[in-house]
Amino acid sequence: MSAIVRLIKSNIRQYGMIMVLACLMILFQALTQGIMFKPMNITNLVLQNSYVLILAIGMLLCIVTGNIDLSVGSVSAFVGAVAAVMMINFEMGVAPAILVALGIGAAVGAFQGLFIAFLRLPAIIVTLAGMLIFRGLTMVILKGQTKAPFAKSFQALAAGYLPGSEWRVDGLNVVALAVGIAASIILAFAMLHSRRVRLRHHFEPVPLWVDALKIAALVIAIDLLTYELACYDGIPVILVILTALILIYTFFAKRTIAGRHVYALGGNERAARLSGIKTDRVVFWVYVNMGVLAALAGLIVAGRLNAATPKAGVNFELDAIAACYIGGASASGGIGTVIGTIVGGCVMAVLNNGMSIIGVSVDWQQTIKGLVLLLAVWFDVFAKSRPQSR
Amino acid sequence: MDRFGKVIFLSLAAALFMGAADLAAQRTVGIAMPTQSAQRWIQDGYYMKKILEERGCKVDLQYAEDNIDAQVAQIENMITKGDKVLVIAPVDDASLTNVLEKAHAAGLPVIAYDRLIRDSPWVDYYATFDNYKVGVLQGGYIVDKLGLKGGTGPFTIELFAGSPDDNNAGFNFRGAMSQLGPYIKNGKLVVRSGQTAFDKVAILRWDGATAQKRMDDILTSKYTDVRLDAVLSPYDGLSIGILSSLKSVGYGSEGESMPIVTGQDAELASVKSILAGEQTQTVFKDTRILARRAADMVDAIFSGKSAEVNDIQTYDNGKKVVPAYICEPVNVDAANYAAVLIDSGYYAADRLGK
Repeated sequence: MSAIVRLIKSNIRQYGMIMVLACLMILFQALTQGIMFKPMNITNLVLQNSYVLILAIGMLLCIVTGNIDLSVGSVSAFVGAVAAVMMINFEMGVAPAILVALGIGAAVGAFQGLFIAFLRLPAIIVTLAGMLIFRGLTMVILKGQTKAPFAKSFQALAAGYLPGSEWRVDGLNVVALAVGIAASIILAFAMLHSRRVRLRHHFEPVPLWVDALKIAALVIAIDLLTYELACYDGIPVILVILTALILIYTFFAKRTIAGRHVYALGGNERAARLSGIKTDRVVFWVYVNMGVLAALAGLIVAGRLNAATPKAGVNFELDAIAACYIGGASASGGIGTVIGTIVGGCVMAVLNNGMSIIGVSVDWQQTIKGLVLLLAVWFDVFAKSRPQSR
Repeated sequence: MDRFGKVIFLSLAAALFMGAADLAAQRTVGIAMPTQSAQRWIQDGYYMKKILEERGCKVDLQYAEDNIDAQVAQIENMITKGDKVLVIAPVDDASLTNVLEKAHAAGLPVIAYDRLIRDSPWVDYYATFDNYKVGVLQGGYIVDKLGLKGGTGPFTIELFAGSPDDNNAGFNFRGAMSQLGPYIKNGKLVVRSGQTAFDKVAILRWDGATAQKRMDDILTSKYTDVRLDAVLSPYDGLSIGILSSLKSVGYGSEGESMPIVTGQDAELASVKSILAGEQTQTVFKDTRILARRAADMVDAIFSGKSAEVNDIQTYDNGKKVVPAYICEPVNVDAANYAAVLIDSGYYAADRLGK
């Protein structure tokens, strides 16, 4: 029993937020009279929030280093605008245009990273400048007008589904079901494997039933999601991209040397530097990475709207930052997980979607989201300051 | 679990299983409006909701605070909820092509409200005011007041236009220039800033603060030694910014009267400004008439008939010519405000401080 208590205690923040997310979904399922879990709405949730989640992943790394990036919304709009000019005015192919756009994102990130990491300007000022610069350049490029439409293949990035929608059994998309089953099998094996590894290394074992419960919960969640998607048009392309990013960045943060450097630097910069980490380079690459992810988000937004507009991406930075903090990242740096951030982003997403469906007006939506952010961070501080002995 | 907890739990569980059946049977109209930060959209929404509810529809009215993504998400959610008809005043007129594709797939007819939705074949009707006519009224008012037809002049004038991404802004500016253009050409009207092209004078998002800044800059650079006689402003929200700028350099104080400043929408603050002798004119578009027209279109759709339109050739959105009902705008100034705004019941007299 003590093992479980310890497990819950050490993960109270993460499990707490997952519980909150689950409760919110059930609450809105009730309040919206069953619309929340409609397959079409689950698909919408994915499509409406994917880009904020992608930004949040990049933002998490910035926040973990103890910095922030206010420019991501503007950079997204800027890259979307450049992509529109390349594809619509210069009739560039979709694939090369996407690559160039991501490259521009990296360059923008490098530009800001240079000032933050090597010239040691405060990140909040550099990226505030970036926010103005790239919003301005977006308007210059678009001349204040909306540029549309994009090629179908480009729109598919944000609005498309995995192929094979014609294979249906009882109206269910077979591809989505197959992906769900395959993912749950792989996940179960991976978790059992890591349990075996832990046992082999003589870590204190978690009771088998706890792990079994964890696996069961995850498998149910995955299959529920893919079943819902199968009832509608299948798996959105963007969900595949997002899942890949989550896996890659979780691996990066937990298992790679560079990833650990990011956390070490955020925890204590002097200590990190004295132990041989080239902290300025780490910060620089974190911002290059943010630039690329902001570019990706910009492309997705452009594809989703099927237009590049001067006002795309307004307030994205705030949504991304809020997702990180609700997901348990610490404003002082060094703390925060990719999964936590995604859960935080999903809490915001469900709030947005649920309130929009029951017809809460935007003014109240903003107020409520602000209060949720405040509560989440307060809970964080409260949980940390409680004496460990109890 | 205490009793209170049980009650909550049971009611939640009950609600969970009720499903969406009762919603689906109703005639629900989804109305997507751009923002609650401008009085006119609040009134548009209010009247349309009232009229449609009187006619037995359920109304799902949502504002997007001028945020494009928020509006797209709201419309998607309306489709999910099972709304039966969509009335949309777009935040951005070219960014709704994908979501209208979804609306079409779900079989929802779409009415574009006030702003035409571009590049989509799935716009069924368009209800609007004659935005070209609004410009004609504004430009024509300046021509009349300055007495240009009687050969007076030359006078100085500066031009402002609406947001470059709003289809209406172009119509409006062309309408105004149809009146002012000839006099600018023959030198009776002088634009000292030299800015007369639409893309130079357009104000992004109809933002009053941006207009104020532009007016500040022009006044400091071009009008330190010359008087400015008239300002073409397309919308009350811009006029307010322009008037602040004019006041800051001394217009409207002793010996220096205000230039002629036009406007549009007869917003409460601007009507008061007209009564205080600051703004000169505004164009009144009775949103109740427009809301009623849109409601008529919704009614026609529900009863399977085609709606009444009065223009089937002007409004080409790039994919189709959208059948439209065009309402007529009216000039308002200090001389006729009582007849137009108060007698029609649009504003109560006490709200104008009279």
